[in-house]
Amino acid sequence: MMTQDEETILTILAKVGKREKSAIKPDDDLVADLGLDSPRQLQVLTDIEDQLQIEIDEDDAARIVKVKDIFAYVAAKKK
Amino acid sequence: MTLENPYPFDPERATLRDAMLGAARLSPTRGITILDRRGQNPERRMYPQLLEMARRGAARLSAIGIQPRDRLLVCLQTSWDLLEIWFGAILCDAYPVLVAPPAALGGAAAHARKIEGLVELLNPRRLICDGALQIELVEFGAPTANSICLTSQEFAGITPSDRVPEPPVTTADLAFLQLTSGSTGRQRAVQIRHANVIHNARAMAEFSKVKAFTDADAVVSWLPLNHDMGLVGCLLYSLIHGINLFLMRPDTFLARPKLWLQTISANRATMAAAPNFAYQLCIERLAPADLDGLDLSSWRVALTGAEMVHPQTCRLLCEKFKNHKFQEWQLLPSFGMAEATLAVTADRKRVGVRTRPMPAGSERGLGFEEVVCLGSSVIDTDVKISSLSKPGEFLNDDALGEVWVKGPSVFAGYYNDPAATAETLHEGKWLRTGDIGFLIDGELYITGRTKDVLIIHGHNLMPHELEWLAESVSGGGGSERSGAFSVTRGSEGEQAVLVVEVGSVDAAQLQTAGHEIRTRVARALGLPLADLVFVKRGQIPKTTSGKVQRRELRQRYLDGRLERLG
Repeated sequence: MMTQDEETILTILAKVGKREKSAIKPDDDLVADLGLDSPRQLQVLTDIEDQLQIEIDEDDAARIVKVKDIFAYVAAKKK
Repeated sequence: MTLENPYPFDPERATLRDAMLGAARLSPTRGITILDRRGQNPERRMYPQLLEMARRGAARLSAIGIQPRDRLLVCLQTSWDLLEIWFGAILCDAYPVLVAPPAALGGAAAHARKIEGLVELLNPRRLICDGALQIELVEFGAPTANSICLTSQEFAGITPSDRVPEPPVTTADLAFLQLTSGSTGRQRAVQIRHANVIHNARAMAEFSKVKAFTDADAVVSWLPLNHDMGLVGCLLYSLIHGINLFLMRPDTFLARPKLWLQTISANRATMAAAPNFAYQLCIERLAPADLDGLDLSSWRVALTGAEMVHPQTCRLLCEKFKNHKFQEWQLLPSFGMAEATLAVTADRKRVGVRTRPMPAGSERGLGFEEVVCLGSSVIDTDVKISSLSKPGEFLNDDALGEVWVKGPSVFAGYYNDPAATAETLHEGKWLRTGDIGFLIDGELYITGRTKDVLIIHGHNLMPHELEWLAESVSGGGGSERSGAFSVTRGSEGEQAVLVVEVGSVDAAQLQTAGHEIRTRVARALGLPLADLVFVKRGQIPKTTSGKVQRRELRQRYLDGRLERLG
């Protein structure tokens, strides 16, 4: 069962990565599977920051590789 | 051509140190403003403060044992720390080398390996980076880099030595090293002399019609300072002319392109440069509401270069900005490269973007139907077209060949790489750019490349870097040879395509191998593949000596002549 935040993250990834939301899996690699180049990676981070009202630390971002890493990061941030 | 001398120094004999002193003396009320990650909270320091900061940096570098001609590797975001260290190194006559911070997402491990490779190439005295990178160096196994690493926080805590070292430096001495991708996939360090950078900055002022040391000009830049266009074209150009500069971080622009335009508009900036992809990003990402209230009329020099200038991007950009007092003549297409310090040609006619049809015989892989005029050579510089079959034999107007450049901005060879230097500098003076083009009435048009380099978002990437990653994947019955090249899709710029030979035709195995290759490329280079094609063994065209013929491969790919497996 997805949380509301996870739904929002998937919506952002679908929009920026130009693919179906239902085709995105938590285990997908953001670059290899979703095809996000560096401008699109930053667009994703910015949209997440704006829509979920959080700040993503840039050093933490350098360690985010998969969709599920974003889920975990956002969940931890909101605790 | 001689220029009136608007500088407080003799430009023929000046070093970057003279430029720093000149800016402090003649521009005490102008300087550099740095915006934070969100493009907010501008902090301004005037040129006299910058000089003071550089002297403090030099005294700190001296305290940690930096000597003249030492290499100093610096991996920091655009910040005052970076400027203090970079200019401090210049005062010490050490050679600063800037390297990009890790990619936004997931770049940590590959980045640590890249830094380790650079340490092997450059044998620097120290590496200065932020605390997070230092942790990565330990975690991802970069022991040599870690052994010379100092964090910027540690650097700031160093008590400066009493005496600011200012060893004598001449204009013929090296000033700094600029990193670029080499043909073997290894990094190369371009050696730039003081004379090179002073000359190139003057050349840019000449074609931009900028007057030195006045309030009339201001530059806004988000470009990475490890990139020649950011370092030379914006930072050093502003310093040498004592004009105001507004610096933003690259990730600020990529996340919110409108902040770049807002900063240009709000500060009445006259010059801001970017590669084609950045203009394309503005076209795609900005809604009309993002442009509300912008006045771009001051932006006289909207320089576009560092990668192929796409005519369609130019047109769409002018359309997008037309209600914001931006006219077509403001776009200034140019051609440049790190080995020529930066600028080589620029379209100084300023009548709008001019194009010609792509000539017969030029390759179609880059996807252009027409080609943009990049203007005539910068002052004191010769640009000629050399025969591809007889290098060094110069061709007449209209004929396609390799672009060669000679002049005071041509670099002093690659650091610690005599073979690459000999290959690139013909008879020690003509720079072989590796770009293919033609001249008409002294104006340059670029149509392709002799080199197999991919230029993605303004950064050079050698095909080997991708091919090694593909060939290291053992799935799919054992990968054989592979070939990488770029294609242009619409106005999006170049994208990477990889073709891999395999022994197996089992769909499941190919799928696994495909995923593995995409993941390795993503981890190592932070790059998505636009396409990954598996073909049977022997399907990739090779020379008799077994070298992959990438251009022929690309042509077959574009023509749909490759038989895809899986």
